[in-house]
Amino acid sequence: MAAFPYYGSASIDALNSQASALLALFGERGYVREESAVLQPAEIFVNRYGEEIRRRTFTLTDPAGHDLALRPDLTIPICREAVLSNRKFPARICYNGLVFRHQPGEPHRPTQFFQAGVELLGLEDRAAGDTEILSLAVEALRVCGLKDFSLRVGDLSLFGALVDALALPAQWRSRLKRHFWRPGYVESLLYWLSHGDGAVKLPGTRAEIEALLDARTDAPLAGRTREEIIARTLDRAAEAPSLRLEGKVANAIAALLDISGPAQEALAKIRALLKTIEIDLDPQLAAMEARLATLKSLGVDTVQFTAHFGRNMEYYTGFVFELWARDKEGPVQVAGGGRYDSMMEMLGAKKPVSAVGCAIRTERLLAAAGGV
Amino acid sequence: MAALLLAIPSKGRLKDNCNAWFESAGVVMEQTVGARGYRASFAGFPDVEVMLLSASEIASSLLAGDIHLGITGEDLLREEAPELEGRMHLIKPLGFGFADVVVAVSQYWIDVSTMADLDDVCAAYASTHRRRLRVATKYAQLTRSFFAQARISDYRIVPSAGATEGAPAAGTAEVIVDITTTGATLRDNGLKILDDGVILKSQAQLAASLSADWTNGTRGTCEKLLGQLDPANPLYATLAAQLPA
Repeated sequence: MAAFPYYGSASIDALNSQASALLALFGERGYVREESAVLQPAEIFVNRYGEEIRRRTFTLTDPAGHDLALRPDLTIPICREAVLSNRKFPARICYNGLVFRHQPGEPHRPTQFFQAGVELLGLEDRAAGDTEILSLAVEALRVCGLKDFSLRVGDLSLFGALVDALALPAQWRSRLKRHFWRPGYVESLLYWLSHGDGAVKLPGTRAEIEALLDARTDAPLAGRTREEIIARTLDRAAEAPSLRLEGKVANAIAALLDISGPAQEALAKIRALLKTIEIDLDPQLAAMEARLATLKSLGVDTVQFTAHFGRNMEYYTGFVFELWARDKEGPVQVAGGGRYDSMMEMLGAKKPVSAVGCAIRTERLLAAAGGV
Repeated sequence: MAALLLAIPSKGRLKDNCNAWFESAGVVMEQTVGARGYRASFAGFPDVEVMLLSASEIASSLLAGDIHLGITGEDLLREEAPELEGRMHLIKPLGFGFADVVVAVSQYWIDVSTMADLDDVCAAYASTHRRRLRVATKYAQLTRSFFAQARISDYRIVPSAGATEGAPAAGTAEVIVDITTTGATLRDNGLKILDDGVILKSQAQLAASLSADWTNGTRGTCEKLLGQLDPANPLYATLAAQLPA
């Protein structure tokens, strides 16, 4: 697809009729169609999500000096509206619209494309929510005439639960979880934890810390409070002695992150590995097995499980999936989605709101299904 | 015949250092439009047109292909074009204009001395303050790629036009990425450089634009000029290998 696509009448017709089929399906399942403005205040993407999303977001300044952004997805504007308008939950919302992505270093990729998708917000039964979205995604591809596709699944909560089961200081647990999705990095943190000497040269008492700070009152606080700095310094001093991970455990985790393959086999390998380090993640593994059972009942057999699969959009928190097909040039991702339970709070919700959704790359789907 | 366009900094120490380097190679510059003019020429090189531009204009002109050669700071070149390959060729580091692009935080942050610490603080800041920690800089591109390498994503860049070192005290940003030679300005503002926070050790570079209009004539002029500026090294040969056929 070209960096700046041009739509001829045949492709407009094909895309429109595909969109009608998708939206009709979503409508039948109780999803209400909504649409956000294309041009959004930049801070909703920039402030809530990291620089990675900003890097891919086209931003501009209006004549009055306000920073604006072309929406890089519809999930964030839709969730934000749900927060601002105090939606009743659960809410089922669907959409079809243009999104814009800067593609640094990949000039051949399109800077704008259509996405159709669904968001299921505030459904307490998370397992039911995951299944609903997963089934809907599979059905959506079939409604559009796609017969051959495969699934790639993962679950960020699996790694989170694993890290929580380790005897490590809280900062290190959150560091490991935060970097879970970056191949290679977690492995190097694990190596450091099992080989490092754990020596952190920091003052250990509150009095020592206060004295150090009092000697620096000319330096700016720079957005943090004195208490925040004291608390983190104390934490770090206290954690230093316990900053060690048994080599066997570190190796098992690294091996676990390496697991990738047909889903059933992969899960069996994970169970065997966990047994060797006596860690129990049965609830998470059972949830994954239930999803696989759902897929089986839908007649989807080609499912790959990748342990380190976390997508690169930073906001997923649990189950994640991608649907892959083939077009003339090779394998292509036609849809993706998952659970992002922290987003609504990041956007200002007063209490946690569960969220799971899926987006379909309709132009790719059309090409893969043999449309245009 | 079309002239070979060479841009050099129009003022300051960079300009003086450039002149000294030309003189040491026996290349004499003659200002053509009065002492304050912005055009000049080299004695004995009628086909070289020397332009005096600001250091950042030189970087963007090289990237745009408006000039063939330019002398400016490597920091500005890498900021202007994060992927230099295929767009610019760094012909020769000139041994002056040394400066480091660094990540600096308040000295008050006694618990932060490495990028890993900063990563923790960024993540904690986002969850307690419900917004991203701000990094003030005029080096947005360099900052982005360095923070990505350090696996930090919970932050946002605030563009800074000048006096970046004052941003943490002024409350317009929490962290800065800025250029420093001795670190004195940073220290005066209560800031410290992170142990692993040096993004780039920069100096003045003689650089060529690969997208400029390289005719046979300008190539010949360039070969002659580089030969005189640095007879000991095959500067032109390495450049020619990168130029489009």
